[in-house]
This record gives sequence, structure tokens and C-alpha cells, in this order.
Amino acid sequence: MLSIDKLCCQSALRYANAAEKFVYAVLTLCICVAGRSWTAAVFAFAANGVLTVWKGKIPLLRYLRLLLVPAVFLIVGTAAVIVNLSRNPMDAFALSVGEWYLTGSRASILWGLNLCATAFASVSCLYFLSLNTTMTDILGVLRRMHLPSLLIELMMLIYRFLFILLETASAIMTAQESRLGNRNFAVRVRSFGGMASALFIRAMKRANALYDAMESRCYDGELRVLAEEHPARKREIAGIAAFETILIALTLLT
Amino acid sequence: MPKTKKEKLLLKASIAFAAMFAVAPVSNAMHIMEGYLPAGYCVAWGVVCLPFLIAGFISLRNKTRENRRNLTLIAMSGAFIFVISSLKIPSVTGSCSHMTGTGLGAILFGPAAVSVLGIIVLIFQAVLLAHGGLTTLGANTFSMAIAGPLVSYGIYKLCEKTKVNRRVGVFLAACAGDLFTYCVTSVQLALAYPSEAGGVAASAVKFLGVFAPTQLPLAVIEGILTVVIVIGMETYAVPELRSIGFLSGKKEVY
Repeated sequence: MLSIDKLCCQSALRYANAAEKFVYAVLTLCICVAGRSWTAAVFAFAANGVLTVWKGKIPLLRYLRLLLVPAVFLIVGTAAVIVNLSRNPMDAFALSVGEWYLTGSRASILWGLNLCATAFASVSCLYFLSLNTTMTDILGVLRRMHLPSLLIELMMLIYRFLFILLETASAIMTAQESRLGNRNFAVRVRSFGGMASALFIRAMKRANALYDAMESRCYDGELRVLAEEHPARKREIAGIAAFETILIALTLLT
Repeated sequence: MPKTKKEKLLLKASIAFAAMFAVAPVSNAMHIMEGYLPAGYCVAWGVVCLPFLIAGFISLRNKTRENRRNLTLIAMSGAFIFVISSLKIPSVTGSCSHMTGTGLGAILFGPAAVSVLGIIVLIFQAVLLAHGGLTTLGANTFSMAIAGPLVSYGIYKLCEKTKVNRRVGVFLAACAGDLFTYCVTSVQLALAYPSEAGGVAASAVKFLGVFAPTQLPLAVIEGILTVVIVIGMETYAVPELRSIGFLSGKKEVY
């Protein structure tokens, strides 16, 4: 059900140092968002695409389809930014609707395109992180950033529970489907409600059972897991530093 | 039939706009996508969230100190909110949409717990589903994990005080929470992108307008589903509901 999670386990970059990947993705993201420059966005988008598809060996088609996930929001949101309803027409286009005009200016169109470029570059950064780093590795990085341990522990448990609950939910939904539980809208609503309440009961039971299991294994308020060490290579660090410098230079120059 | 060229263009544009909603792969609750907000707004919304998150964190920490068993219960609740909000729900239009789950979460677990669980769920949604993003985490957390749940919880408690029918109260709470989330997100977008003609207010109206076709039916469906889920839970899950303090009676844990 979570295709990104599955893909990141197959990635060829999975065992690269997690902190390195995290720093690269977040830095690039920040430069893209703060800089808002055309060239930097295109450069970052291309770099992330190459890294994810060529180095990470994520199938190209899957990658492209994933990139389209936020496209609807982007199109609708940007349309709202560009198109104005006004009494006076502006310079780029104007459609008259009665006495009013659906209109926009050249500057705002250029600006909207810039926004799209930045947004796509940022999404590619996010995908670089999520398609090449497993959630447990990301949590390891967050732990090293000294986030409160309660928060990390909650995230770890929630991440584990997601799959249990998704599996349970999908089993219940298959059972409902095979008994015509989706035949019309009213039945569908009732099935969804039944599924959710059954899921809630199962979730609470599992939580209690898990706690009993943890306590019988000497749980004392902290989960300690051995993390695999993949030390960062000097070459990679130098590469990231060079890349970010170029990106900042591109942002400042344009 | 349209006669003039302009009318034809307008008709075509409206058809294209409608078709976009039909083919939209997911019309999820209003997550602002990665890289869509300027850097200043990302930071500002993050800072606005901080007091709520700290209050939520302290309340969760006290609950886990009271009884360690609560940790797994809280984590399971977080996973439950994630799963409920990631499942397809029955919709009238045929495109698949998702619940926000915040109304249900606020009613069941209280707004303090939901603020922290909400930000964790949003991080997972950004990384695992590419709904929302890391830079827009602050803005999304404010609209979906703080503002919406607070309104839901307030309305639910108000209805309880004024002895309104419980189911009506749940419906109103979930529906209003969803609508408020949608309004807050539109305002957030409008503040970041004021309209050239009319400023922030006009821009807010535009954003409210373009997202209305998906969000208004969604709010009603979310309300109905929440009622159905709560009815299901009250029928089958009384001990579990007691254990999280939702139904009055003896409160053991949480």
C-alpha cells in the first residue's frame, strides 16, 4: 500500500550514509525554497532525477508517476495565483465575463511558472530522501539531532503500527468487497464505518498486547535498537559540498 | 450553444477544469505541497505551531509517566489517524478522496494529543505518500493538527454542554473541523500570495473558490463517516473507548 516505502528498500543508495542523504536533501530543499531561482530549481531537479533514477535505480516510470502526485494541487493553486477577477483587464490575457474580466498580468504568469519550477524541484528533493532512505534510517538521523526521545519512540512505534493497521484494514475491506459491501453509496458509507470501528478495536487490542510483550522483555521506557553503521565517504561529502556551493552560486547569480 | 469565440473558449476552459477533477488521481485533504510557500512563511507558521506542540508534548509525557502502557496506546492512536486518513473513502463524484481524520482524532483523543500525533502523521504523509512536505510542515500542522482539531473539539464539547443530540454534535464537529482546516489553508495560501487585484482578501476568496468543489462535499462526507464510525465504536468498542477516556465511566489509563 505504501509504494514509496517499498521502493526505498530496493534503492541502490539505500546503504549510503543516512545523515549524508538527509543533509543533502534538506539543504537543497532549503536553497530551492529560499532562493526561488529558475536555474537553481532546474539544476536541483535534474540532479535529484539523475541521483534517484540512475544511481538509485528507481524505475523511471514509477518516479515520473510519483512526481505527478502533487500535480493537481500545483495546477489548481497556481491557477488561483495567476487568474484574477477584476474590473480592468491586465496585460497578459483578459476574458470578459459580464462586466468583469478573468485576467492576469505577464509578471504574475512568469511568477507562477517560477513557483511551479521551485515546487517541482522541492518535491524531487523530498523524493530523493524518501525513495533512497528507509524511515528507520531517517529516525536514526533525527535521534542524532537530539529530538526528544519520547517523540522518536512514538514515531518508531507509529511507523511499525502503520503496516499492521494497513494490513488489517485491507483484509477487512477485501472481505467487505467480496460480500457486496460496496454496491451503492449508502452501503459503502456503512461499510467504511464498520471497518473503521473494527480497526479501532483491533488497534487497541494490539497496543495492549504489544505492551505486554515489551514489558515481558524488560521494557523500561526506552527502545534501544542497534543501528547499522555506514560511514560517510570523504568523496561523497566533498561532492555534496561542491553541489550545494554551485547551487548557492546559481541562486545568487540569477 | 456558445456562439462567439470567447464563449467557446470559456466553455472549453470550464470543461478542461472539470475534467481535471475527474482524472485527478487523489484529491486529498488540503495539504500544501512541498516548496509551495516562501521560506519566511514556512518558518513563521512553524513558530506559530510551537506553543501548541510543546503543550501537547508535555501532556503526552505526563500521560506516559502516569502509566507506561499509554505509550503504545498513543502510538496506536497515531497510526489509526494515519490509516484512516490514507484510505479511500466513498465519494459521490467518483474521484477518490481521503478523510482528514482530525475531527475524529480530536473527539477521541483530545486536541493536545492530536497536535503532536498530527505533526508525526504529517511527517509520515510527506515522506511515505508525498502529501504535503517538509518545508510546508509548519503551515500544514497549524491547519490540520491544531486549528481544525481545536474547532472540532470545541464544537463537540459545546454540543455536549448544551445537550444537543450526540450524533448531531459529532457530525457538526467533524464537518466544521474539516471546513475550518480548508479555510485556514486558503488563508495561509492567500497570505503568501496576495492577489494583484484586491490583495489578501481577494486572494483568499480565489483559493477558497478553487478548492471548494472538492472540499465542500468532502466535509459533509467526513461528517457522515465520523458519525457512522462513532456509532460503530459505541456499539462494539465500549471498553476500548473507556480506556482512552472517551466514554465516561471509570478511567483506567490514558
